[in-house]
Amino acid sequence: MAAEWSSDVWPDWCPGCGNFGILSALKLALSELRINKREFVIVSGIGCSGKIAHFVRTNGVHTLHGRAIPFASGIKVANPELKVVVHGGDGDLLGIGMGHFIALGRRNIDILVVIHNNGVYGLTKGQASPTLGKGVKTKGLAFPNITEPVNPILLGMMSGYTFLARGYAYSVEHLKDLLKAGLNHKGAGVLEVIQPCPTWNNVTTTEWVSNNTFYLKDWKPLVEKKEDLAQKMKEVLSMEYGDKRALGIILEDNTREVYQERVTKLNEIYDKYPPSKQKIESNGRILPISFEKTFEKYLI
Amino acid sequence: MDLNIIIGGPQGGGVETAGMLLIRATATAGLQVFGVREYHSNIKGKHSYFHIRTSNKPINSIKHPADILGGLDPETLATHFSELRKGGVVVYDEAIESKSLTRSPSIDPAKAKRLRSALTEKGIKDTVEGLREYLKGEGVSVYAIPFSKIISNVLKGTNIQIERTMNTAITSAILSILGMKKDIVYDAISSLFAGKAGIIEVNRKVADAVYEELSTAEKFQVESAKGEDDKKGHEEVGKRLLLAGNDAVAIGKILGGLRFQTYYPITPAADESLVIEEIAKIFDNEGRIIGSPIVVQTEDEISAVGMAIGGVLTGVRSATSTSGPGFSLMVEGLGWAGINEVPLVITYYQRGGPSTGLPTRHSQSDLLFSIFAGHGEFARIVIASGDHREAMEDAVKCFNYAEIFQVPVIHLLDKGLANSVTTVPVPSIDIPIVRGKIVDGGEEYKRFKLTEDRISPRAFLGRTIQWYTGDEHNEYGNICEDPVVREEMYRKRMEKRRMILEELPDWDKARFYGPEKYDDLLLTWGTTKGAVVDALPELNATGERVSVLQVRLMEPFPADYVSEFIAGSRRVVSIEANYTGQLAWLIERYCKINVDGKVLKYNGRTISEDEVLNGYRRIKEGETSVVLTGGE
Repeated sequence: MAAEWSSDVWPDWCPGCGNFGILSALKLALSELRINKREFVIVSGIGCSGKIAHFVRTNGVHTLHGRAIPFASGIKVANPELKVVVHGGDGDLLGIGMGHFIALGRRNIDILVVIHNNGVYGLTKGQASPTLGKGVKTKGLAFPNITEPVNPILLGMMSGYTFLARGYAYSVEHLKDLLKAGLNHKGAGVLEVIQPCPTWNNVTTTEWVSNNTFYLKDWKPLVEKKEDLAQKMKEVLSMEYGDKRALGIILEDNTREVYQERVTKLNEIYDKYPPSKQKIESNGRILPISFEKTFEKYLI
Repeated sequence: MDLNIIIGGPQGGGVETAGMLLIRATATAGLQVFGVREYHSNIKGKHSYFHIRTSNKPINSIKHPADILGGLDPETLATHFSELRKGGVVVYDEAIESKSLTRSPSIDPAKAKRLRSALTEKGIKDTVEGLREYLKGEGVSVYAIPFSKIISNVLKGTNIQIERTMNTAITSAILSILGMKKDIVYDAISSLFAGKAGIIEVNRKVADAVYEELSTAEKFQVESAKGEDDKKGHEEVGKRLLLAGNDAVAIGKILGGLRFQTYYPITPAADESLVIEEIAKIFDNEGRIIGSPIVVQTEDEISAVGMAIGGVLTGVRSATSTSGPGFSLMVEGLGWAGINEVPLVITYYQRGGPSTGLPTRHSQSDLLFSIFAGHGEFARIVIASGDHREAMEDAVKCFNYAEIFQVPVIHLLDKGLANSVTTVPVPSIDIPIVRGKIVDGGEEYKRFKLTEDRISPRAFLGRTIQWYTGDEHNEYGNICEDPVVREEMYRKRMEKRRMILEELPDWDKARFYGPEKYDDLLLTWGTTKGAVVDALPELNATGERVSVLQVRLMEPFPADYVSEFIAGSRRVVSIEANYTGQLAWLIERYCKINVDGKVLKYNGRTISEDEVLNGYRRIKEGETSVVLTGGE
C-alpha cells in the first residue's frame, strides 16, 4: 500500500543514505493513517533531506534553506484543515533556521517537524552541522569541530513543543510508529531522526548508533496536567544528559493549547471560517462591505 | 484659503493628539486637510511636530511659509520660527517665557549649535522672551497665553497633570484665533477620545476655559475658515474617511480580500498591520460578519515573507508589510515567489537608508532596490502610489494583478504617505476582484503547465496534489536541470513582463496632470506627486506651460507610454526624494533620453509645494541638479 505514496521522481540520494529509511517510514505511516493525499503537505528545506518533498505522492513544498517552518506555518494557519509536516536537516532547522524552530514551539501550531539529523552538511561536502559533537572530526572537516552541539530534543522542549521523539533512520518500523504518533499529536512536534550519512559522516555510523542509543521501555512520555510538566521536563533533561541517546517518544505534553485554539479565543470566526474558507468577492466585485460598521472610526 | 499650521513639542508629550485635534476640527469643518508627521526614532522626549495644511481646494502636500506655530516647548519655537510668514501667529504657554530656546537636554547637539548661530545672527536672545521680542518686530502676532494657570484652574481637585491637556489648550487657542466655533473643537475632542467619557469632559472644560480667555483676543484673518464657507465646503466634499497612509492601505487590503497578513514590527509599516488586526471583523450593511482577516506577528521578516507565501499557496489573498531593512531580509523569499509564480503582495514603505538609516524619516531611495532585489531574473510588478486614495485603490489592484499574472507584487510606498493624515472620499464598492486562472486541478495536475499565454492554471493546496520548489522545475514542479526545460520555464516567467505591459491600463502605468500642451514635463513618483501636482497652478502662472507625469508602474517599466509624454516636451525634469535620481535613471535607461534636470531631496523630510516651485525655478535658470533642504 505504501507504494501508492511514491511519486514518479527518482530519489537521488547516495546509496545507503539514511534518508531512504525516513522516506520508507513516512510512506508507511501515511498509508497506515489513511491520510488524504490532497490534504497532506510536506514542506521541506534545503539540502539532501529537503528533496523528500518531491519523492512522495502528496503536496510537496520545497522551500528555502532554513525557512520550511515559516512556509508551513503560513499554510497551516491560513488553512487549518491541511495536515502539515516539515522535513529538514539539522543544519537547515537548527542552524540557519533556528529562530523559526523556536518560534514554532512557542506558537504550538499543529505541525510535526522531522529533523534529518546526520551531523553534517552533506550536499556541500560535509561541513559540521549544529548537532555535530565538539571535538569530532568527520572526513569533510580540516580540523576537529570546536563548537558545542545543540540537542534538538532539549531545545524543542524549552521552546514549547508538545511532542518530542527520537528515531533512527534504519529502524523503519519503529520510526513509522513515531511518525504516526507525531502526526496524530495535536500541536507542534519534533521528531529527531538519527541518520547516518555514508558519504560524509564517518563517525555517526551504524556501529556508533548501536553503541550510543537505546530504545525507551517503561518510559511514560505523557503529561496531562500542568503541575506535572516541570517534573517530566527534569526527567527528560537528566536522560538527555546521559551517555546514550534515547529512541522513542520522549514527551507528549497535552497541557498547552494549540495555536488554532489560541486564535479562536481572540476571534471566534477563525475556528469555522479560517482565511481559506472565506469568500472575498461577490460577482467579480468586492464584498458588500459596510463602511459605517467596519471602518467607523475613520468616517467623518 | 490655504493655511499652514505647525504644532510641535517633545515626542510623547501630546503632539500626536494636538495634531489630530487640529486635523479633525478642520476636516469636520468641511475643509481639505493634509498633515505631515515628523518625529525622531524615540519614544519620549525628542522634538516632534505636525505640519498641517488646510485649504478649500484638494491638497496632497504641505507648503511654506507657515501661518501659525503652536509650541508645547521652547525647542519647537526655536526650531520652527523661521518657517513663519510675516503676519503669522505664534501660540505658547506664557510659563515658558524665561526658558532657553536651545538648552533642553533632549535637543540634538548639532541642531542646538545650528539654532544658536541662527539666533546670534538675527540678534535674538536665547530665551522664549527674546524670541517674542524679535517676532513682534517681524510682524508676527505672539499669543503667550497663561495656559498653565488656565489648566490648573480647570484641573483643580483632580490628579491630572497640567501637561496632559496642554495639547488641547494650545489647539483650542489656535482654533479660537482662527474663529472656529467651539462646537467643532468639542466634536474633535469627542471623536478623538471616543469611549473615554472622563477624558472628553476634562478636555472640553480646558477648551471652554481657553475659548473664554481668548473671547476678546484679536482673531486671525482667514476668510473661509468660518461661517457660510464651512457649510458650502461640507456639501461639496460629502462623506469622507480621515486617515493616515497606513490606514488607507489597511482598508484597501481588506476591501481587496486580504485575509492573511504577516509582519515583523518596523517603522513606518507596523501600524498598518495593527489596523488590520484591530478591524478584525468585516460587516455588511445588515451587520452580518462577512470576513475576518488573520494577522500574525512573526519572529522576523524572513518568516513574515515565508508565512505569507504559505498563505498564498492555500488560495488566500495574503500579504506582508515592511520597510527597507525588513525588505532586505525578505529578498530570498521574494525570489522563491518569483520562480514559483506566487501571487504574493509585499507592501513596502520606504524610509531613510542605508542600514537603519533614518527609521522615522521620509525617503524614496529604494525604487531601484525594489525593482532589482533578488538574485536571478524573474517577473515582478512594482506599483508606486502617489497619495492616500491611490494607495487604497492600489492595495486592491496589487492582489488582482498578482493573481492575474501569478507574479509577486511590490506595493511601493513611503514614510511620507504612511504617517501623513488626510481625507479621502468613501470609495465605491464597485471595485473588481479578479483572481486569474484558478482550477480545482484533478488528476495529473501540473502547477507549471506550459500554456500559450504563459499563465498556468492555479490550484490551491488542498484541492489537488502539486509540487513547488525554489529549484528550476518541470511542469509538475519537480526539480529539473535539463537545459531545454530550463529555457522554457525561464521564458515562461520572463515573458510575463511583456504581458503585464500589454494588459495593464494606461491609468495604472502613469498619470498626467496639467495642460495638454506643455513646454516642460515634470516627472515624479510616490508621494512627491502631491507637492508637484499641488504646485501646478503656480508653475503655470510663471509663463511656462508645465505639466506633470506621475509614473506608477515601476516594473516592468512602461517605457513606450512614458516616452509618448516626453516626446511632447521641450525639457524634462525629475523630482524625487533621493540622491541619485532613481526615476530619472529608469527613464534614461528605458526611454533612452537625457533627463534635463533633477530636483532631489535626501534630508529625510518630505518635499513641500514651495520647494517644487523653487526647484523648478532653479532648473529653469540653468542648474541641472537641485538639492532641496527644507523641513526640520
